[in-house]
Amino acid sequence: METKNSESEYSTEHNENVSHLEESDDEMTAERALQALENAWLNEKFSPELLPHQLELVECMLEQISHMEENLKKLEKGDIRLNIHTMEINRIRFIISSYLRKRLDKIEEYAIYFLSEDANRSSEEAFMTPAETHFAREYVSSVESLFTTLALQHMPRRIKDFELNAMSSKPNLNKHVFIRANKATDGILIPGNMNEQDFKEDSQHIIQYAAIAHLVKNGHVQLI
Amino acid sequence: MDPSEVEFLGEKQLVSIVPNFSFGIIHLISGSVGPFRAGLPVKVPIWLAISLKQQQKCRIIAQEWMDIEKLNDSIEAEKRSKLFTKMPSNHFMDEAQMLLMVAPDDIPDADNIRTAVKDIWDLRMSKLRSSVIGFVKNAGTYAKLDHLTAMEINSIRSLLPDALDIMLHMEHGGKPTVLQSLNTTM
Repeated sequence: METKNSESEYSTEHNENVSHLEESDDEMTAERALQALENAWLNEKFSPELLPHQLELVECMLEQISHMEENLKKLEKGDIRLNIHTMEINRIRFIISSYLRKRLDKIEEYAIYFLSEDANRSSEEAFMTPAETHFAREYVSSVESLFTTLALQHMPRRIKDFELNAMSSKPNLNKHVFIRANKATDGILIPGNMNEQDFKEDSQHIIQYAAIAHLVKNGHVQLI
Repeated sequence: MDPSEVEFLGEKQLVSIVPNFSFGIIHLISGSVGPFRAGLPVKVPIWLAISLKQQQKCRIIAQEWMDIEKLNDSIEAEKRSKLFTKMPSNHFMDEAQMLLMVAPDDIPDADNIRTAVKDIWDLRMSKLRSSVIGFVKNAGTYAKLDHLTAMEINSIRSLLPDALDIMLHMEHGGKPTVLQSLNTTM
């Protein structure tokens, strides 16, 4: 309880500072964007499927970092702030790269499946960023040319073709995950016994991912 | 998740320090800290407190719950209760570990606090183990985990979800699933 109180004190104090500091017209403060990115990182880490990309958040934080690095150049050597800001930048960089790396891991694993899923979505709704889509295509074509040069070209004609669909694998959405409810949500259907369960705010659970996948995407629950 | 990543998340928690320097407000991306006045306590994230402490620029004030009487009360409550009791912080174990490691000289009664924290951890881990065994024996697929701290959840992550996944897989007659098709592709 103690820490919670102090945390809210901390953030209101900060918001006041930001209101007269904020020069950009972003409706989201850097602090909130960072928290949102951290949540996205944890969700991505623990969800079996690829979640919709958060390119805006990543770009926003990268912008903040380069902005900060510009400012740091103006500081004199030995300024106490130099060290502190650099440390914070490194912490944020860690989150960003861990987040992006995790997504690439998943894309490598299920490239064909994600490409076919995204093909059914409009470009605004695509789960992969344009760069990730490019990576996925390159990856699939590299695998294909590897298979062809290594083995397929030496095969009898009947089994010579590279069959994309046979290579495709899907993420297992029935994996069990740990979650925390951000908002009270009623009537979650528990797979298997078909009971309903209500989530209180801040309660923690272990449950099959498929049962709460939609709640992860709309932010009602956080994977932990 | 690596325990160091749980610690990374825990490092965002705030702790009071008494700086031995004066400085205005520092506008971090994650929020502002300060102003720092030599001799006056101020709240900062733990990662910053640790760094300042290592440069001998501050003294760390123990978290409010780092009090041997409060901790002994928690031990008794944990023993009495069948369920998990609420811990003072979601990063109870890692906060204690980090602060006691870097500032044993600042925290009064550090040795006893360390022992008490360890006792609570041991009590809760054995409770956790027996409830996990009970849960798996009852072939559950869903459980409430209220009051489990981040480090505790992480300690069963490598075992419990996988065990449940495999049980589910066997229940469904062992149809070829993702796992198997993966091995053939990669």
